[in-house]
Amino acid sequence: MSPGVAQGGQTVGGAPGDGQNDLAPLARGVTAALTWGFRIGAALLAVGVALAVLRREPLNREAEPFVEVLPAVLEGSAAGVVDLAILWLMTTPVLAVVALLVGFLRLGDRRYAVLSLLVLLVLGISIGLALRR
Amino acid sequence: VVAARGVSVDAGLLIGFGVVAAVAAILGSMLGLGGGVFLVPILTLFFGVDQKVAIGASAVAVVTNSVVGSSVHVRSGFTNLRLAVLLQVTTAAGATAGALFGVGADPAIVSAVFGAVLLYAAISMLLRGDKRPTAGGVATPAGDPAPTRAPPAVPADRWRLDDSFLDPATGGTVRYAPRRLPLGLGVSVGAGVISGMLGVGGGVVMVPAMNLAMAVPVKAAVGTSAFMVGITSVATAFVFYSQGEIDPTVVVPAVVGVLLGGQFGSRLTRRLRAQRLAALFSAILFYLGLSLLLQAFGVTLPGQR
Repeated sequence: MSPGVAQGGQTVGGAPGDGQNDLAPLARGVTAALTWGFRIGAALLAVGVALAVLRREPLNREAEPFVEVLPAVLEGSAAGVVDLAILWLMTTPVLAVVALLVGFLRLGDRRYAVLSLLVLLVLGISIGLALRR
Repeated sequence: VVAARGVSVDAGLLIGFGVVAAVAAILGSMLGLGGGVFLVPILTLFFGVDQKVAIGASAVAVVTNSVVGSSVHVRSGFTNLRLAVLLQVTTAAGATAGALFGVGADPAIVSAVFGAVLLYAAISMLLRGDKRPTAGGVATPAGDPAPTRAPPAVPADRWRLDDSFLDPATGGTVRYAPRRLPLGLGVSVGAGVISGMLGVGGGVVMVPAMNLAMAVPVKAAVGTSAFMVGITSVATAFVFYSQGEIDPTVVVPAVVGVLLGGQFGSRLTRRLRAQRLAALFSAILFYLGLSLLLQAFGVTLPGQR
């Protein structure tokens, strides 16, 4: 093996060094979606758990349906805030895919924009089922 | 005192769930399997948590862990975003199908499949021993923009999947182009089905598939898989949520435990040679897998519920 060549290395295509450097702005968008998604979710979870402990309020045995979560939060229910935090955390990767879709569209990469949209549509099946609950 | 389906839950038990999730995440992190592989069997076998509630909790914990972990990988340039999107189409479809099957399936069938997956993981880990997957890719020394040898063109190139990343271990740039795209897409379906049905991340299938079958370097495979498992588990989590199987009294300690355990496990992995513990870990996996298989046939081992 020649110096500098990784073990098992034999696979490079395209112009050397081009890679996916064009995706740097897109990667920043995805990172921002994931980072802020987690921060908001973690903050909601912390608030919900703190409220539950301070008020000695039990958590739900089953996360409430979508339509009942916001009213519960507005009523100041700790369990409602925890349910919202869980749903927010579950949704955060979807935001990252939306960031990918927007990023690919801005780059004019229609093929990967369509693929991102396909991923969202597939995820939409399970989210649609959840909305019908 | 609160109550979760199938088991009475007090504050002590909630903390117990958190500790179990942390331990599961540490083990999973050290083995690169993810926490769900250990979390679901331990919750069901030793705490009597309803199987579907445990899978739903695991899926939410996997999503959260992926959100935290993959943001680091994406920032570091390890995640191949085009490859992730491409494989995610079939993985998400498989996960949705797997979750729809799993959420309505007889728990004995799910236990049997889970047991078989764990036994497979245990045996493959034992056989693998100290052998690590190939690094893959062509590395260029730091400051040298040109690759050290001319590589062959690959069919996957028309998908613009070739990528590069800076390897902090060597200081050089690793360039690679994934191969055997149809095989990768096929494996992704299987990984998605397993992930959706069992609430595990699917990285246990995707990382070796990307590395060994598609010639993606390990770091890029791990970074790409870490991003994908979060999206895959979204499908699982929402299907289980739609059926009322997301129980906050299990999910909250699982999420907190997996996050803390995952961080600790990553640091521990750098200090310990996890491969040296392969025999012990594979024995644990074997025991859990066998227990689930026996449970599927109505046999409960001592100390289990």
